[in-house]
Amino acid sequence: MKREGGEVLKLEHVTKQFGGLTAVGDVTFDIREGEIFGLIGPNGAGKTTIFNLINGVYALSAGKILFYGKTIGAGAAEGKKALQLKPFRIAQMGITRTFQNIRLFKNLTVYDNVLIACHRSANYGLFEPLLRLKGTRFVKQEKALKHKAEELLDLMGLAFYRDVVSVNLPYGLQRKLEIARALALSPKLLLLDEPAAGMNPEETDSLMQMIRSIRDDFHLTVLIIEHHMDLIMGVCDRIHVLNFGKSLLEGTPGQVQNSPAVIEAYLGVQDGERCAVKEGEQ
Amino acid sequence: METEQFLQQMINGLSLGSVYALMAVGYSLVYSIMNFSNFAHGGVIMVGAYIGYYAMTAANMPFWLAFALCGVGAGLLAVLLEVSVYTPLRNRNAPFLYYIISAMGASIFLENFVIATIGPTYRTYPQVFSTAPIRLAGLSLGRIDLMIIAVAAIGLIALVIIIDKTKIGLGIRASSFSIKASQLMGVNVNVTIFLVFLLGGILAGFAGMLFGMKYTVYPTIGGITTKSFVAAVFGGLGSLPGAIIGSVLLGVIEVMVSGYISSNFRDLIAFVILIGILIVKPTGLMGKPSEDKA
Amino acid sequence: MSWYYIEGILIQCGYVLMVVLGLSLLTGFTGLFSFGHAGFMAIGAYVAAISTAKWGLPFFPALLLGGIAAGLVGAGLGSLTLNLKGDYFCIATLGFGEAVRLILENWEYVGGARGISGIPWKTDITSVLIACTAGTLGLMALIRSRHGRSIIAIREDELAAQMSGIDTFRYKMIALIFSAVYAGIGGGLLAHYMTYIQPKMFQMVKSTEYTIIVIFGGLGSITGSIIGTLILTFLPELLRTLNNWRLVIYGLAVIVMMVIRPRGLMGGVELGDLFRLPARKRAARLAEQRLKSMNGGDAGKGAQR
Repeated sequence: MKREGGEVLKLEHVTKQFGGLTAVGDVTFDIREGEIFGLIGPNGAGKTTIFNLINGVYALSAGKILFYGKTIGAGAAEGKKALQLKPFRIAQMGITRTFQNIRLFKNLTVYDNVLIACHRSANYGLFEPLLRLKGTRFVKQEKALKHKAEELLDLMGLAFYRDVVSVNLPYGLQRKLEIARALALSPKLLLLDEPAAGMNPEETDSLMQMIRSIRDDFHLTVLIIEHHMDLIMGVCDRIHVLNFGKSLLEGTPGQVQNSPAVIEAYLGVQDGERCAVKEGEQ
Repeated sequence: METEQFLQQMINGLSLGSVYALMAVGYSLVYSIMNFSNFAHGGVIMVGAYIGYYAMTAANMPFWLAFALCGVGAGLLAVLLEVSVYTPLRNRNAPFLYYIISAMGASIFLENFVIATIGPTYRTYPQVFSTAPIRLAGLSLGRIDLMIIAVAAIGLIALVIIIDKTKIGLGIRASSFSIKASQLMGVNVNVTIFLVFLLGGILAGFAGMLFGMKYTVYPTIGGITTKSFVAAVFGGLGSLPGAIIGSVLLGVIEVMVSGYISSNFRDLIAFVILIGILIVKPTGLMGKPSEDKA
Repeated sequence: MSWYYIEGILIQCGYVLMVVLGLSLLTGFTGLFSFGHAGFMAIGAYVAAISTAKWGLPFFPALLLGGIAAGLVGAGLGSLTLNLKGDYFCIATLGFGEAVRLILENWEYVGGARGISGIPWKTDITSVLIACTAGTLGLMALIRSRHGRSIIAIREDELAAQMSGIDTFRYKMIALIFSAVYAGIGGGLLAHYMTYIQPKMFQMVKSTEYTIIVIFGGLGSITGSIIGTLILTFLPELLRTLNNWRLVIYGLAVIVMMVIRPRGLMGGVELGDLFRLPARKRAARLAEQRLKSMNGGDAGKGAQR
């Protein structure tokens, strides 16, 4: 159920060099509203680097990234200066993410993890918390924040674990919590970095369900990096394939699966991945 | 006359820088592997200075024996600190701050232990070298200064050779890139870390004794390590050549500032340099840059 | 022990607590370490002392002025150094603290190494109580707000905090400025209790001592900071008969603490939590039990691939 919409994210000739090494070279693609967009490629293809470029952890060497038509990062070109919004600003604009190697606020409870990220739903000032009287903006907004956090936990099925210190959660729930935290900012675009890593087939299935329902319930656009071909082929509307930092191909799951170039990219690099592609074909 | 005075100051600066260098390499070695600033180093230097002092006065040892003993004693103390204080932290993967606080605790302990047992008085080493300076081309060179420069040169060259040319040194260099990876490659990290503390401790002991001979011995003598720490940061924490170059530069700058501007600014300049280098190039003159990975 | 003597120690606890509360915000809640807080304290002490002794300002405005001055300097230091990574920031504060002391030592207007004497004796148990109560309530209010939670997020994981839309630089700055203001006010209280101040009262050892109190009390706990201050200020006084051995024991205690109970006395727990949250704790325990039964006890370890 793909909803055709406007452009959410646009990468134009995006390039990133580390020293002499080109991690990402001249990658161009765009993601449309409501889409679930997959980014795949063998290890070292530059997928996570692209994530870090989108949310501003790295600055672009060349090229341009636009979010709803606004430039959020651009390399220096044609006399124009490089531009790079700060990561927190990009997150506030509506791009949030999860991490390949989960990065929760480990020593805090599940609830606190989400509550922290809800901060954008309030705008009281630095000194307002000093006055804790009924009816002040501070008290009202805090109440709303807490309500929002509880609601999110309910939605994500984490309410029962509300008071568990997040590091004590099992892997799957930690991933879920990370998604809940990312949703707390009411993003327009959600970046998922290998969300199925370490999950068994059943868990992967329910993750697929969840990604779809999140997309629908929160009116989101989703960009996924993943190695699990089941998940990518099962959930994505379009897929962009990278190899050695360069674009190889873009298309629907069907097109990508049948592309000899893609199969070769995987085969040529890593034996283990071949099975993954084959599984996806079935 | 002008150039002579300048050269004279250079030599004084070089002597001071050499003492700093002997201590700074200890900071840098530990930092390169364990990523924390070992503030207990000052305590090791102080104990080294006292060992040398008592070896020569109470035990009546000849200078060279006392000198060797002070190196061994300080080295062993440094290793003892590592085993008793840092190893438990290491086993628990404690954050760097816990190391720093423990190191501060150790330094408070050592200083006050010496005050409580030996007392806070300043003690003067028996005279080993004649205080009459050597006259050379219109310069007067203090014998102790020459001694300091010579010991520093030999000690540091030996250290560089150990690190660059031996198998032990290879282990140290490997561990400075990644403890985990070198462990997987068969480096015995525990032994490597002991050695780092031992080497740093020996040189610190030498520095303590030489500094004590030039001036006096007192329980808070370790305070000068703050300067050698500044020197290590100046040169680039974790870099051995950086620590040496940073120390020599700092020694010379300090002496020049106090000679040509005002002795009041001598200490201040060190900290101004520290803040300046951190703002301009936090990794120091020769430190390795690092990028955070998401 | 006479009341007069105890009162003296309590006043001492008071101005130490102001500095410790500030440091608790920076170290315990933000995760930044400072070895230069004696510098902020010195700035507050000198500005407040000059305000009353030389310019004839009343006590409370003078205290505030000292706090503001320290805060402004904190803002300047922060804008230069807060971009540095953790341990380098810590080193920069060390340099800052020493630089402040050395500048004071060489500045004749403020008395050079002799310092300032003849400061009016104004700090009594009442003023200390007012300052500490206001300080504690203010800090609690900040921590229990979106601002405080953002600050805690920085301590937990700075990158994840940025990705959650938190302006980490701004919040580190806020923490540093507030922390400096607290230390400055603490310095002002000290100056008007001792009635004289000298640069050597603000050596790096002092900064270390305050950091040790924060850690001893437990990172991320205001209650811990208060208890830590009381214990570590009273204890040396009680052990006065031991003379020089006091600090030997102190140094040893610090090491033992780091090795045995690095979380400190109250690590992350507030006094209120002990009474308020038994229901929450029960819920957490229940959830953890269920997790264990579900996963055969591998909670937290993560499933194998």
